Amino acid sequence: MIEFSDVGLRYGNGPEILRDLTFSIEPGSFHFLTGPSGAGKTSLLRLLLLSLKPSRGKVTMFGEDVSDLSQDRLLQMRRHIGIVFQEFRLLDHLTTFENVALPLRVLGQAESEYRPNVTELLEWVGLGERMNALPSLLSGGEKQRAAIARAVIARPKVLLADEPTGNVDPELSSRLVHLFAELNRTLGTTIILATHELPLLDKFSYPRMLLSKGELVIHD
Amino acid sequence: MIERAAKIFALLRRRRGAAPIVPEKSVAGRTLLLMITIMSFLSAVTLGGVVLVQKSAIAWSSDVGRELTIQIRPVEGEVMESNLRTAVSLAQTTPGVASARALTIEESQQLLEPWLGAGLDLTAIEIPRLVVVQLADPVDADIEGLTRNLQAIEGASLDTHAAWRQQLNTMAGTIVLSGLMVLALIGVATVLAIIFATRGAMASNREIVDVLHYIGASNRFIAGEFQGRFLSIGLQGGLLGAAATLLFFAVISTAAGNVLSSEAGAQMGVLFGRFALGIDGLIGIVAVIPVIAALTAITSRMTVRRYLSETS
Repeated sequence: MIEFSDVGLRYGNGPEILRDLTFSIEPGSFHFLTGPSGAGKTSLLRLLLLSLKPSRGKVTMFGEDVSDLSQDRLLQMRRHIGIVFQEFRLLDHLTTFENVALPLRVLGQAESEYRPNVTELLEWVGLGERMNALPSLLSGGEKQRAAIARAVIARPKVLLADEPTGNVDPELSSRLVHLFAELNRTLGTTIILATHELPLLDKFSYPRMLLSKGELVIHD
Repeated sequence: MIERAAKIFALLRRRRGAAPIVPEKSVAGRTLLLMITIMSFLSAVTLGGVVLVQKSAIAWSSDVGRELTIQIRPVEGEVMESNLRTAVSLAQTTPGVASARALTIEESQQLLEPWLGAGLDLTAIEIPRLVVVQLADPVDADIEGLTRNLQAIEGASLDTHAAWRQQLNTMAGTIVLSGLMVLALIGVATVLAIIFATRGAMASNREIVDVLHYIGASNRFIAGEFQGRFLSIGLQGGLLGAAATLLFFAVISTAAGNVLSSEAGAQMGVLFGRFALGIDGLIGIVAVIPVIAALTAITSRMTVRRYLSETS
């Protein structure tokens, strides 16, 4: 599904942030992406999100070399990728329901079409009662569950999560990772979850990709 | 008033469907709405003024064009009354002439009063006399034939007021052209203001744009969301500006009628028209609404597309 071959990334004329990355991700798998701060986790996620192009090497996603793709094709491929951020990035003026429904609105669906699906998903992530609340009224855990629901509502093939547990307490972190695991099991979504919380990694037996100084030192 | 109208529009929009992705308050709405209202008002007033001037000029030119004046200068050895009768007769037999009438000596003296003052006895002085000729049809009137025939009368000449009409048309044309240039400048100023407002709105909504990009929204979709907001503001501004203009012309028309006496008002009406826009003027002012709305929507869409292609 995803293949990196000798991939390097630099911003402008600066030093290489990522070096010689070679790995592949199978469909339906779950990977932790870890490493110290500044190791290049976010840059790697941005490559996976197709918001950056590699400076060298080859990235293949869904069977296509991403370096030659047109803007339109990149946009179509990006719709197969969901993203969850540490800081949630919910739109403050929209309710939980409207935030989660956003990807479907972007795809041109009418509210009558997406309302049952969004309602069902919100109930599944435990936000059925908070559907009409604005993000400012949600707790950190609720915001992150809403962000996860928004990322998966359009059934992406890949779900990327950038430090999704960074703003919640350890107990809630564990519950959120369980939620990702449940999505992986029930929907078959490929998940790459970036975190630097080692205790969290120890609770789960998923393969790890360890980045250090821009290089992939472990990929099991 | 502006705020109230904005609330009504917002309510209508919300009822139609889901909440707007670009928040209403974030698009510098109130300031931009006021600016577009002012620009619409200026455009509509300029347009109304142009229509008034043009209509007055056409009416005046048409009136003047339907009248000719035969002037008979006193010539020694010639009998003025006889020449006047001949001139009237020649005019009446000319094709396209509706009527011809010699001004009496009293009427001629009245014409000279503004220059010579009242109370002068001019009977002892020979003054030029005039014959007023009304044309039935200015196009088909045989003016050349009349000019030729008048050569038989010593001291007679024909004034078609062509120089006056030409001067009037030139003046009206200059005012209309100036009005159109002002309209174009207002349009350019409006476009520039919308560009700055759009770029400001994009910068302050950067987070929304980023999130939309991350969830797979195309630049076209994002531009459409911003365009929707600006179209709404443009429509509101255009509507308020046009309403203010109609009110302005109504007030001016009423004030002109009240301030001037009926005689002075009639003379002003003859000279400058009646401040009546007519159906074409009203259509022009109402047309400002969709034009301003379209201008706002198109400009914001192009600005957003350019901004997105610069930043993505």
